[in-house]
Amino acid sequence: MIEISHVTKTFNGQRVLDDVSLTIKDGEIFVILGESGAGKSVLLKHMVGLLKPDRGQIRLDQRDVTPLTEKEWLALRKTMGYLFQEGALYDFMNVFENIAFPLEEHTSLTHEQITKKVRDILQLIGLQGVEQKYPAELSGGMKKRVALARAIILDSRILFCDEPTSGLDPIRSRDISDLIRNVTRKLHCTTIITSHDIANSFRIADRLVIIKDGKVAALGTQAELKVSPDQFIQAFIG
Amino acid sequence: MNDVIRRSVHYLAAVGDSLYFLGSVFGHIVRGRVRFVEVVKQVYEQGVQSISIIALTSLASGVVLALQGYVALTRFGAKDAIAPLVALSLVREMSPVFTALIFSGKAGARITAELGTMNVSDQMLATRTMGVDPVEFLVVPRLLACLIVLPILTLISELIGIAGGYLVAVYEANIPGVFYLNQTLKVIHYVDFFSGFIKVFFFAVLIGWICCYQGFVTNGGSLGVGKFTTKAVAYSYIFVIISNTILTKIILTFWG
Ligand SMILES: Nc1ncnc2c1ncn2[C@@H]1O[C@H](COP(=O)(O)OP(=O)(O)OP(=O)(O)O)[C@@H](O)[C@H]1O
Ligand SMILES: [Mg+2]
Repeated sequence: MIEISHVTKTFNGQRVLDDVSLTIKDGEIFVILGESGAGKSVLLKHMVGLLKPDRGQIRLDQRDVTPLTEKEWLALRKTMGYLFQEGALYDFMNVFENIAFPLEEHTSLTHEQITKKVRDILQLIGLQGVEQKYPAELSGGMKKRVALARAIILDSRILFCDEPTSGLDPIRSRDISDLIRNVTRKLHCTTIITSHDIANSFRIADRLVIIKDGKVAALGTQAELKVSPDQFIQAFIG
Repeated sequence: MNDVIRRSVHYLAAVGDSLYFLGSVFGHIVRGRVRFVEVVKQVYEQGVQSISIIALTSLASGVVLALQGYVALTRFGAKDAIAPLVALSLVREMSPVFTALIFSGKAGARITAELGTMNVSDQMLATRTMGVDPVEFLVVPRLLACLIVLPILTLISELIGIAGGYLVAVYEANIPGVFYLNQTLKVIHYVDFFSGFIKVFFFAVLIGWICCYQGFVTNGGSLGVGKFTTKAVAYSYIFVIISNTILTKIILTFWG
């Protein structure tokens, strides 16, 4: 369970998160919606300790993680996967090495076992025969899928996906969304996604939040959002 | 006035931050948190990248030193002193400084650009989200490699520079080659060699520190990478040249 209470964050006088409170339950797929620049990525980075709130508190499984040091966070993050908006694959490693990196770092698997796991996951994301390519040789969408593979390879307990479907074609977006859902169900992990993609968010989300001007504008299941009287929300979810 | 104060505070904060950075890098090294495979990769990259240009400039320096020395020394009827002139100039001063300057422009710039690019494309953050310390994984190997590569390059530079002097001595000044080499070996004492290498080691720490730090704090997209890389190289030049002056004075005072 992730509890965010009264989190406020200001960058150079610009208030990006303004008293945000929400709770994410274990095992659910939770989608953070909002316009570009609303503060979705910033909110996600707070949950993994890449940013610290100016005010407010973040609790993971009842534990207050706001005051943790970077060293404590490093240990904690081994149980998490994080997909960056732009992929953030290592330029100096090929696809295979990128995906294998978390395994090499945090497990004692043999080379054969690692190779098998990487092959399996490449098949899962529909990318075969690219093991030896470097990120610079891949399309944006391919990078994103490789980055997703890297994020889920350790069987994380919490999976964070920053815009997993942006830059993908509609069919691929659908496939990736379904993949994220299947992975979540299979691993029994908690998945938090930021997105602009309303259709796919509704397909897979258990609950959603809409962030507007750094505040929670709406929070609930798809059905609950659809009956909201708020004009912005209706305009946003179409 | 306010602006001056603000800028000074900003500057002091940056100095403090970079010192803390250096401390944490050495903290990792002291605690043995060093990835040797990464170090070897970096040593290879930095070495291969700089070796040819350093060989070329060293050869040219040795040749020029000998040519000018020949002209000047002949006026005093002391052309036999070419070998000591070339050897001492190179070992005590020119090879350490020139190699450090070229190394900053090649390997140093590469370090800042690589780390900076990783910063602006979230690879640094990604490292942290994967539970890996970016200082340990990305910075320590690069800085350690500087400490290994720069002394080796300097040694190579000295040997090639002396070879350049040899060519001039033998073919221009008609000094017997054996005599030249004998003189060279006789004139270089431990203290000359040693004083050169104190400098080299100091420059290596400076360059590694400046270039890794600038890369580590790069922001502002691809423009930022360019800006911080230029800054890293400029700082490296300035600090190498200034610290060389100070070190030379100190070394001469204590060891002569
Ligand atoms: N490190 C930072 N320093 C300064 N400002 C920042 C920083 N990170 C984010 N911001 C600002 O915070 C705001 C929200 O950024 P964020 O990246 O969270 O938007 P987003 O909702 O993820 O948008 P998008 O859908 O385009 O990804 C932006 O106005 C951005 O300029
Ligand atoms: Mg974003």
